[in-house]
Amino acid sequence: MSTDTHEPIEPIEISEGQLRSMTADMDEMHHATLPVMKEALAEWSELHRQMRSGIAKVVPSRRGFLMGAGVTLGGLALAACGSSKSSTGAGGSATSPTSGTSTTTGGKLTGDLAVVALAASLENLAVQTYAAGISAATAGKLGAVPPAVVTFAQTAKSHHTQHAQAWNAVLAGAGKPMVTGVDKTVKDAVVDPAFAKVTDVGGLATLALTLENAAAATYLEAISVVSAPAGIKTAATIEPVELQHAAILNFVLGKYPVPDTFTKMDGARPVTDVIA
Amino acid sequence: MSVDERAIGSLIDESSDLHRDSMHTTHASLQELVEVGREDATDRPEVHVSSAERNPLLRHGIGGGKALTALGAGGALLALMARPAFADQSSDVQMLQTATSIEILAVATYTAALALPFAGSLPKVVQTFATTTKQQHMDHQQAFSAAVRALGGQPQTKPDPVLLDVVNKAKPGLTGPVPLVELAITLEMGAAETYVAFVTTLTDKNARDTTASIMGVEAQHVAVLNAVKALVGAGHPEYITLPPPAAKLPAAAGSVGFPDAFYPYAMARPAAEGAVK
Repeated sequence: MSTDTHEPIEPIEISEGQLRSMTADMDEMHHATLPVMKEALAEWSELHRQMRSGIAKVVPSRRGFLMGAGVTLGGLALAACGSSKSSTGAGGSATSPTSGTSTTTGGKLTGDLAVVALAASLENLAVQTYAAGISAATAGKLGAVPPAVVTFAQTAKSHHTQHAQAWNAVLAGAGKPMVTGVDKTVKDAVVDPAFAKVTDVGGLATLALTLENAAAATYLEAISVVSAPAGIKTAATIEPVELQHAAILNFVLGKYPVPDTFTKMDGARPVTDVIA
Repeated sequence: MSVDERAIGSLIDESSDLHRDSMHTTHASLQELVEVGREDATDRPEVHVSSAERNPLLRHGIGGGKALTALGAGGALLALMARPAFADQSSDVQMLQTATSIEILAVATYTAALALPFAGSLPKVVQTFATTTKQQHMDHQQAFSAAVRALGGQPQTKPDPVLLDVVNKAKPGLTGPVPLVELAITLEMGAAETYVAFVTTLTDKNARDTTASIMGVEAQHVAVLNAVKALVGAGHPEYITLPPPAAKLPAAAGSVGFPDAFYPYAMARPAAEGAVK
């Protein structure tokens, strides 16, 4: 880990005003994108309304979405667990106050909707993990935490919350219950063991990077296999954002921020993952 | 300036590794491509072919290129948007040709940027980024060209005419790092947003997968450039190191790289804009 998390926080040397102005501009841009998402969700909801009424046929995924891709879990776990230098970490699991008490697994869904449920569960897990990281930082368990890192975590958490809401809106539009649970397969095998060993910002960033890359890979695979155009559109507007998160995390970790000329499906999660 | 030379060396090694499998197609002089494109843009024959497009994107692009209009390309853009696409080419081929044309321009622009008088004074990480990004765009260009050929189309060899106009208009103002980074952001955003839009429209699976595997990379370029712009603009290029001095960065720097929860496509280029004519 090349990030020095023990460096004392020094006074801010960059004009906050300048950066806040930029942030405000970007916030406006962000809100301008929301209608796009609503449009995509409306398209998808209409499709499912037609499917229910028999106007449109259900088109199964071009192939079983990521069936058998669970073999990538080992690599995912390896990447996540190799980042921390102490076994005395932030403690416990990444379960946070955001985790829902009523869990919809999405286990009975098939085709595109199974992919949607998987996506929602991955987003919920990301929200949960960032929340747990922020809590650990606030409790002083990660040493000195730079303000920029806190902002990153809060913003990324907000993005993932919105992504989860978008996917759940699709489920709701299709008359299906929302997914409030997380991808338990990834949580149990990757997040919880890694989070328990996190002792600093670098360890947390490495774990977050693993999740961001897994989400991006899953969406890339989803774009390739889902049938509904609105589903492709939804995944296509989220995948680049996860990769932007990953780029900044790479940068913070001292790694080249754009490591791949072509993004990969390696690490994509299968719909066979347990959601709970 | 605090630059970790070892990290830079590692970066260069990584860059070489990343491209060890890259293709080695001979490229025409990138500068020549820009010049050819400029001539083409100023003396382009009118197109009289009409086509019943299956998607409004193919006629207008998504969002109508508002940001580019703001940059001064409004007239040319509106004129181009009014043009019909080409009936003798599939929509997928047109989109892939347009994507190729965007990549050609990106390569030419990064090449020109690296030759600017102040380029050598840019932070080493930024120089490495420009070099690596240029190579990535070359690889993207080749990938799109291969996808065009796979569909029986003719690969594009010229830059996107509208974006080329944007670049040419920006050139006189490229007297320092900030306007240069802003131009790069414009091109990268144009590429990323176009590909997001195309992914939702392409019908050929291979074409869609190829485009999807590239759009996120351009979005990452945008994120890095946004961060670079913020730090350079604030007068602290010395913070652009790997890793950066995180403790010295203001809180707002943590989110400046990724402003949108959902990637926009208001700047997506029309599908036929860069199609072979």
